[in-house]
Amino acid sequence: MNDVNTTMVDKYRNDFLKEVEENVEEGHWVKMCMQCGVCSGSCPFGPHWDHPPQEIFMMIRAGKRDEVLTTESMWMCTSCYNCIVRCPRELPITHIMHGLANYAHRLGIAPKMNPTRRFSAIFWNNITKTGRVNELALSLKLYFMDGFGNGVKKALAMKKVGIGMIKTKRLNPLALVNHKGVKNPKELHTLIKKAREIEDRRKGLAS
Amino acid sequence: MTDMVATNETILVVGGGISGLTAALEAAECGKDVVLVEKNPSVGGRVSQLYKYFPKLCRPTCGQEINLRRLKANRRIRLLTMAEVTNIKGAPGDYDVSISVRPRYVNENCTACGACSEATSVEIDDPFNYNMKKTKAAYLPYNMAYPQRYVVDPSIIGTEEADKVKAACKYDAIDLDMQDRTMEIKVGAVIWATGWQPYDAAKIQPYGYDRYANVITSVEFERMMDPFGPTGGKLLRPSDGKEVKNVAFIQCAGSRDRNHLTHCSRICCMASLKQSTYIGEQYGDGADAKATIYYIDIRAIDRFEDFYQKVQADEKVHFVKSKVANITEDRDTGDVVLHGVNTEGYHRYDNAHDLCVLAIGMQPSVRADEIAENVAADASGFIQMNGADTAIFGAGCAANALDVNRAVQSATAAALRAIQVVNRVSSAEA
Amino acid sequence: MSENKTAVYVCKGCGIGDRLDTDQLANIAESEGKCSLVRQHDFLCNADGVNTIRNDIDSEAVTHVVIAACSRRAKTDAFGFDDVAVGRANLREGVIWVRPDSEEARETTQEMADDYVRMACAEIQYMKQPEANQNAGTHKTILVVGGGISGITAAVESSKAGYAALLVEKSGQLGGWAAKLHKRVPNSEPFADPQDTGVHDLIKLVEDDNNITVFLNSTVTRTSGAPGQFSVDISAESGDTVTENVGSIIQASGFSNYDANQLPELGYGKSPDVVDQAQLEELARQAGDGPMTRPSDGKEIESVVFVQCAGQRSEKPGHLPYCSGHCCNTSIKQAMYFKDTNPDVDTMVMFDDLRTPGNGEDFYRSAQRKGVIFTKGKAQQVDAANGQLQVNFRDMILDEDAVANADLVVLATGQVPNSGVDIEATAAADAEDESAESESAAEDTQEVSVSVDSILNLTYRQGVDLPHLRHGFSDSHFICFPYETRRSGIYTCGPVRRPMDIAQTQEDATGAALKAIQAVENAVLGRAAHPRSGDLSFPSFRREGCTQCKRCTVECPFGAIDEDEQRYPVFNESRCRRCGTCMGACPVRVISFENYSVDTVGQQIKNVDMPDEFDEKPRLLVLACENDAYPALDMAAQQGLEYSAFVRIVPVRCLGSVNTIWITDALNSGYDGVMLMGCKKGDDYQCHFVRGSELAHERMSKIDDTLQQLQLEPERVVTHEVEITDIHRVPTLINEYAAKIDEIGMNPFKGF
Repeated sequence: MNDVNTTMVDKYRNDFLKEVEENVEEGHWVKMCMQCGVCSGSCPFGPHWDHPPQEIFMMIRAGKRDEVLTTESMWMCTSCYNCIVRCPRELPITHIMHGLANYAHRLGIAPKMNPTRRFSAIFWNNITKTGRVNELALSLKLYFMDGFGNGVKKALAMKKVGIGMIKTKRLNPLALVNHKGVKNPKELHTLIKKAREIEDRRKGLAS
Repeated sequence: MTDMVATNETILVVGGGISGLTAALEAAECGKDVVLVEKNPSVGGRVSQLYKYFPKLCRPTCGQEINLRRLKANRRIRLLTMAEVTNIKGAPGDYDVSISVRPRYVNENCTACGACSEATSVEIDDPFNYNMKKTKAAYLPYNMAYPQRYVVDPSIIGTEEADKVKAACKYDAIDLDMQDRTMEIKVGAVIWATGWQPYDAAKIQPYGYDRYANVITSVEFERMMDPFGPTGGKLLRPSDGKEVKNVAFIQCAGSRDRNHLTHCSRICCMASLKQSTYIGEQYGDGADAKATIYYIDIRAIDRFEDFYQKVQADEKVHFVKSKVANITEDRDTGDVVLHGVNTEGYHRYDNAHDLCVLAIGMQPSVRADEIAENVAADASGFIQMNGADTAIFGAGCAANALDVNRAVQSATAAALRAIQVVNRVSSAEA
Repeated sequence: MSENKTAVYVCKGCGIGDRLDTDQLANIAESEGKCSLVRQHDFLCNADGVNTIRNDIDSEAVTHVVIAACSRRAKTDAFGFDDVAVGRANLREGVIWVRPDSEEARETTQEMADDYVRMACAEIQYMKQPEANQNAGTHKTILVVGGGISGITAAVESSKAGYAALLVEKSGQLGGWAAKLHKRVPNSEPFADPQDTGVHDLIKLVEDDNNITVFLNSTVTRTSGAPGQFSVDISAESGDTVTENVGSIIQASGFSNYDANQLPELGYGKSPDVVDQAQLEELARQAGDGPMTRPSDGKEIESVVFVQCAGQRSEKPGHLPYCSGHCCNTSIKQAMYFKDTNPDVDTMVMFDDLRTPGNGEDFYRSAQRKGVIFTKGKAQQVDAANGQLQVNFRDMILDEDAVANADLVVLATGQVPNSGVDIEATAAADAEDESAESESAAEDTQEVSVSVDSILNLTYRQGVDLPHLRHGFSDSHFICFPYETRRSGIYTCGPVRRPMDIAQTQEDATGAALKAIQAVENAVLGRAAHPRSGDLSFPSFRREGCTQCKRCTVECPFGAIDEDEQRYPVFNESRCRRCGTCMGACPVRVISFENYSVDTVGQQIKNVDMPDEFDEKPRLLVLACENDAYPALDMAAQQGLEYSAFVRIVPVRCLGSVNTIWITDALNSGYDGVMLMGCKKGDDYQCHFVRGSELAHERMSKIDDTLQQLQLEPERVVTHEVEITDIHRVPTLINEYAAKIDEIGMNPFKGF
């Protein structure tokens, strides 16, 4: 168990709901769920969830901290907003799902190999490095995420699309070495660091 | 009827459904003068459109017959049909009320012989059957309609059809020159009993009420069982007339939902439990037919619990704890497919049914804050008792989402509140 | 009183004149009906027709009017002559609308009409325009039994309408359970927080009201009399008794808490930290706005579990099968007591179905906002361990067994009505003792009953309290006419009728106050109360003929008839609802009403033209309940559904009023069969006189012996339960029956 996680476990002991309310984006809505299940039934990825949203809310109330934070379920959310639109209690379920995923990730207990989590991390690192997405680097990183062989296979499969994009100047092969970021990425890094500090302080995540 | 005498010791009752009728009768049987105003051509209201009452599974018209006999026998009640209150001004014990009356085009000579109806071939949508059926343009609204007097639909006025209708009547009962009229009366207290209307089911987008023929509302389902209803008392689904052997009920259709009605409409659980028994009634106990009730909580309050337990024991009725997420249509079979999750353990389903009945929520026909000054509305528009200086009292479903038994209680209580006001007036004048 | 003068009016409108020989009808009225004034009119219900009748009444001193036109249910506005006796011969719905307009049908259709005119003329000879009961009472004071929120409300609302009230409370103070509450569930926007009960303001209203007299520490030890003239003894604990005269009675005897000691599996009685909702109110009141502490050791409560439906909605012996309706909201309110004081207290409501109807949904949401946790779960066992309680339950959502730890467990137990003595069970038990049969013990007597003390101590022959319905709640018609009890002038309100919360109780009590006021207003005028409101007739009784058989006193659905020392019936006219059940019960036919009697019906039955055996025209008598069967027949006619021309239909007030003499007389005089159409009986009865249909079925089941003595086939007499909507079924029943009689053959008594 990593340090932040231990801290939070100690801090909230049995009260996982409170932990969620205080640390997860829109987490204070969890208590409003009335277990009707319309969100679970509305999710287009529904069949792939181990625990659909309404069940996750119940698990949170039941204090099932590890099961919730380590599940891959909320990483399934594609932000279609069906659940939000239909929820009779107006819970911002999409945001709560992302909030939970993010929280688990911050605690370092999110499923390491979950593709959505890995993609998110790659994307984040890519965009924060220069302030602009380097699409070519992002694509390559994603292709080779599961090893060299897989990467080559995926790249070959996408060859036609890639060439087409280069021809229509949608993709610049030189971006690998010559990516244009924002004017002063250092300032951006400072800014992000500061934002992180503020958030951590607010949520008590600072170590 | 035109020279109506009313004073500030008169009680005005607005609405001639079960609540308004009850309030008017109870007050009149205490010796009070009552003016009863009904918007439709006949009294009876929404309960007269019901096939059966829960939990006794008895007939609403049975109680209505008694109430009609009380009404016929009571000289203290003046009944105005096709009339609506348009304005109320004043203070307790002293209200000025404007009433507008639409023309029926049929006067009191009518013997209800039916000759006018036979004379015309023009048909109009039948509101008594929620427009699922047609009726003649000269019609008796329903079998038990009171006043037992025909109505000529305004759509044929000025046409040859109207002349045909008039010519058919031997009793000079058709008066095509009738006009809208308004009247002003004075009353001491008002009982507002305009009842409820079903929530607009088309607004519940995922259920496709406006897209799928085989998604209907509970009030429409009720009409199907009536031998004089749109299907002649058979459970036949709208798309292809196929017998309904596998019906779904969706609870909280519009109710308990911040996107629609925030309140719980109270009656819908019992209504669906009741309607689930129609399957057995129609096809027999051993028949290969079933009903599935999709619910959040079954709210069979107090003594109604007995009825819930009785239905639970019926093998043909299944319960799924789930708010249905959405409905799709199987184009080949016309079946409706309900999608969702049974939350008792997390079981996904995609269940095909012949027909889906939305247990539709109840909203007030008239919002309380539109009635008059000093009438308080709750968030849903029901009349709130708040001790304000008013003698406009809510009764029945204008005041809350209520079942019949509670609506009658509410109406009886409202009658007393009105009597208290007019008795104060009369003792002040004595 | 001047002499009777009967006028008969034959209408020719609506096709009657086209289909029937109205001259012949008029002749029959004159010659056979012996009516001096007979008129025909083309359109009797128009202004001219009505004026003709009116003028005859005013200037020709007509006292009895027969209208031979449409059904008695039609054109009541036009034919409402209050100052004379009115009879109707139903030629439209009863004849021409149910018969084909064909040459071959003409003769039998005319015979039908002829008979209905004969019958109406015969009936009217025996009818009197009723004069109100001279023994009507004069008392308008309302007695309210029970000083809880329902009783107080009933008294206050009665007084506001100008009626004096006596309020009798068993304990030393007013307010009942409501006064023991810390706060109540809200009844106004925004339905978010518990609110003041308001009981103390109400009590103040009572105390300041000169129109309300309060009797504390008192009970009703005797109630006799009738609406408008009840006499009640109110006895104080000290033994002092006063006798008061009142006009009507509201029984607001409330409920008792279910005995939670019957729930040891939920820890009650094992740990003082398992309490019921009433005890929690006490804890909350003691704590005021401060934190609540555990009963066991005074530790501040940090976690609470509310177990809903404790001992309710359950078939287990000793449990309540019903739902008490208020408990979900009550637990929500109580959870808020904790949350409003300290948001960090864990509160969990464990429910099966959460039942917060209407605006209760707002209250539910408000509780969630405050952090109350709701778990759909079934509590199985509550254990005390390590200074804490453990609630073992099945989590219905997560589908697993789970444990919740809590400092305090609150059991949401139910309301048990204080409905006094179960007089029917008592009567059954008595009957059992008499006949020494042991198997008929009513199941319901197994149910929980907290109080066996009588509430009203009625001196009525039928028992000391109101009859009970299922689960011990006081009887009522329940849907359309919830206030109608089976004891005239006595109304119940509050949780004694069905489980309810404060808001509903107050509404209910206000309604009951109206009914009580209505009862006295009708009683002082000598008029009937619901459902024959305004009827001025009342039963009259010929003592000389009475055989003291007690059937009338036993069978009256409303307990209106007592017995004197010589076991003769004593009619309490003001208690009577005019159903005629006593008349139907009486084997020697000494009971009658001025406008409805053995003769008014009997003479109709006799005065038909009975064809002889060889005419092959059977005659079938149908006695139809006027509330359900008769309207169904009318509506069948409206639809043009046809039925046999051999039936003669006589509407009856209630099947309970059908005297078996009518049946035997009919068969003796040549009718080939008799059919009774009444309404639904049993637990879900529709009979508006409660037991009428049931009694008729019982009586008819015994008529077989009589038929056998007459050597007639038992199939000649049939009884059906008919609903008002049986529009297609009633003509079918008649036609099938006509076919059956055809099969059996003609009655051999014809022509004797």
